[in-house]
Amino acid sequence: MRRASNAGFFLLPASLLILFFFLIPVAATLLLSMTDLSTATFSRPSWVGVGNYLDLLRSRWTGLILRNTAQYVLLVLLFNVGMGLFLAITTSLLPERLGDSIRAVWLVPRITPPVVYILIWQAMLSEAPYGLLSTLTGTSRNWLSGFPWHAVILANGLIGASLGMLIFTSAIHTIPPDLFYAAAIDGATTWQTIRRVVLPLLRWPILFVTAYQTLSLLTSFEYILLLTDGGPGLYTTEVWALSAYHLAFSNYYGNARFGLGAAMAAVLVIIGIVVSVAYLRGFRFRELVQEPRVEVT
Amino acid sequence: MPLRPRSWPLVAIAVVVLSLPIVGGYTWLLLSSLSREVHGLLPVGGFHLENWRFLWEGVEGRPSVWVALGNSFLFAALVAALEVFVSSMAAYAISRMRFPGRPLYLGLVLVLHAFPAVSLLIAIFYVLRVLGLFDTLTGVILVKASLDLPLGIWLLKGFFDGLSWEVEMAALVDGASRWGTFWRIGLPLIRPGLLALGTFALLSAWGEFILPYTLIVSSRRWTLALYLQSLIGDFTFVDYGLLAAVGLYYMVPVIALFLLGQRYLLNIYGGGVKG
Amino acid sequence: MKGISITLRGLSKRFGNVWALRPLDLEIRAGEFMAFLGPSGCGKTTTLLLIAGIYRPTTGEIYFGDRRVDLLPPRERDVGMVFQSYALYPHLTVFENIAFPLRLKGMSHSLIQERVASVASLLGITEILSRRPGQISGGQQQRTAIARALVKEPRVLLLDEPLSNLDAQIRLQARSEIRRLHQELGITTILVTHDQAEALAMADRVAVFRDGRLHQVGTAQELYERPADTFVAAFVGHPPMNLLEGAVEDGFFRAGEVVIPVPESWPRGQGVLGVRPEDLKLGEGVPASARVVEPMGREVLVTAELAPGRVVKVLTNPQVQVMPGSAIRVSFPPEKLYLFGQDGRRIAP
Repeated sequence: MRRASNAGFFLLPASLLILFFFLIPVAATLLLSMTDLSTATFSRPSWVGVGNYLDLLRSRWTGLILRNTAQYVLLVLLFNVGMGLFLAITTSLLPERLGDSIRAVWLVPRITPPVVYILIWQAMLSEAPYGLLSTLTGTSRNWLSGFPWHAVILANGLIGASLGMLIFTSAIHTIPPDLFYAAAIDGATTWQTIRRVVLPLLRWPILFVTAYQTLSLLTSFEYILLLTDGGPGLYTTEVWALSAYHLAFSNYYGNARFGLGAAMAAVLVIIGIVVSVAYLRGFRFRELVQEPRVEVT
Repeated sequence: MPLRPRSWPLVAIAVVVLSLPIVGGYTWLLLSSLSREVHGLLPVGGFHLENWRFLWEGVEGRPSVWVALGNSFLFAALVAALEVFVSSMAAYAISRMRFPGRPLYLGLVLVLHAFPAVSLLIAIFYVLRVLGLFDTLTGVILVKASLDLPLGIWLLKGFFDGLSWEVEMAALVDGASRWGTFWRIGLPLIRPGLLALGTFALLSAWGEFILPYTLIVSSRRWTLALYLQSLIGDFTFVDYGLLAAVGLYYMVPVIALFLLGQRYLLNIYGGGVKG
Repeated sequence: MKGISITLRGLSKRFGNVWALRPLDLEIRAGEFMAFLGPSGCGKTTTLLLIAGIYRPTTGEIYFGDRRVDLLPPRERDVGMVFQSYALYPHLTVFENIAFPLRLKGMSHSLIQERVASVASLLGITEILSRRPGQISGGQQQRTAIARALVKEPRVLLLDEPLSNLDAQIRLQARSEIRRLHQELGITTILVTHDQAEALAMADRVAVFRDGRLHQVGTAQELYERPADTFVAAFVGHPPMNLLEGAVEDGFFRAGEVVIPVPESWPRGQGVLGVRPEDLKLGEGVPASARVVEPMGREVLVTAELAPGRVVKVLTNPQVQVMPGSAIRVSFPPEKLYLFGQDGRRIAP
């Protein structure tokens, strides 16, 4: 098999890493979810089949967690896409330098290390005399524990909006200028042009961003962990992905339950696989078929 | 777009107002790190450098911030190097070589690209324990580099696809092996791609929190993210000045990289829709 | 440098379901200059890439001298190749481009200096050695590409349409330069081109390809005087040979209402009559009407309509005045006539 040997060499490092940190973990998640692995049983876990899943169905918190997750995904998605669109369109209306600067500002949260970003949020929302919001409104309170959902949605939204903003902006730039000239000659106002020329041409990017971010939001929890850690109190802002993490890694109750956490994660993994494969169908398959033009190994 | 309504200054004002919270937040960070106290956005009690004392004294119960800095550097640099190296090799093979199962491999990379890797954290924890790499920087480096691989491979494959086939053929006829062609001709010719991926990987690894948080326990292996978080989570401290100083200290390389590597980054973020 | 002989035996190449090259046998002599001629997509470049080792054969073998090479990668075949786009390494200087094959061999720096300098002076590009490919002209790029191919003193030189990207002016110059190089160095050279004038002018022998098949191999004279079939007959020679469909009867060729006297020895039956424009004469013979008259400097090309739909082109000298629309006569000298069968193959002479 001389033909394949050299290619094998090039692919080896990537293949090993993918094997150990993608493929095996996928299988491991499913397998672990069917054991009772926990801090207590770490060296000798036993098989429980669908026991963990049944526990999840029976738990009185599952309903709340599901509602939280739905609320989180929907509202942040709305903000992301909506704000992303708004920013893309408005900054495109402005002179280039100004538009670029505003977009740069909105990119900063995305590249800021999450810990620092959340620190800023916490400080802004704290009581007087430190918190900016308290100072501005004259009411001194911890806005974060008072309005955890608002904080979670906005904190994630400020970051998420920038992806849509970039993609939509780049899509707007590919619209042939002639379309705008034609609309202007036809007598369209700015708003009408946006509604009838720009938005329809953004249909595919909007769809892409929505699909991509839905999956992304379903499985993300880092910022929530840092901001509210699922609280305040019991499960107020606990979403599914965070709950999986807590079950597996929090020693609050003295026993971290990996098996149960893995079960929750497994649900996300399966959704992830289904959606990713669906994406694959959506993308241009011909690309995959083009054979390289050199047959040297 | 060639659309500039006469009322655009109003639009500008609206957008700027909406962007103020972000500006405000980072202004706070800067001011807080340099002042005794900041009320809202007003510095009170004058400027001083006391907040930066963590640089020369330790903060109680914690290793020196310089250890954390060193770990962060090591982590970010090795992740970026590993990612760029491994991705480029795989991308070259996928783009330029024939091998059985090529469409399958390509499909796998695409699927993984869209897959939410973070959901595998629990299993990865277990895998690292089994491999004996739990609580090591090596382990976290391998994990971080691996999770970003599909993006890296996909990005660099795009760059390799753009190279002329005849240049490749010329190198082979000139006497290069496949590896020689990759190393001497392929890589130099996709420098922009390598820089884009490298910049992205550095930024991404520098700010990484959840992976070290989950996979590292010993405080001497903390990265700056964990160092800072330990200060924030410690309720005996509401010293925003100190926290802001550490935060700003942590952010400096990010700002520098962002300014230097903007051009390259837009490559990764901007072209998304075409897949 | 001396050349080596190349033998292709039963060589073919298939991509998926498409045959780019059907099984081919060809002998190229040591030190010979051969041209692969044909329209695009005919398989000539495919054959070249098979010889270079970029492609692996679907069937057949390739020999350099006595040595079988078709299983070897390019770097073990010791060939030099010049690509249509020149394929220079954009990130290296002209010097480094030429030195590249030698660096791969791990040659010492001083030896590399020597070799590159000598090849550069052979091709007249010594002054541009420190420039980058993006900073030099097309002609200089081409010579750099040739220098790179020659610097490792290969025994086989392959050229893929090296002249087609050059301006017409430079092209003639480049033609003779390549010819001169070949004479001086004696390397076995294969040149791929779609330009028949180029092939006939430069090569010792020409191989004519179409649709993945080799139609004929021979010297310029053989192809011109003894074309193997209608394709070669029409492809080689400019303006192309006239071809008329019809049938041979007793001593005549009948194409519709047109009757042309032909040699008695010709077999009866359906066929295609061929005659070159330069062999036809105006004056006596078959009646026709001059449809188009194109002065071409030293000659005049007359399009003569023998009957509706039956047209031949006649190349004649300006002394003979012809007015468009006038009635003329075209003479078909029997010794200059060709007969091809319905499958295209030449039957007579």
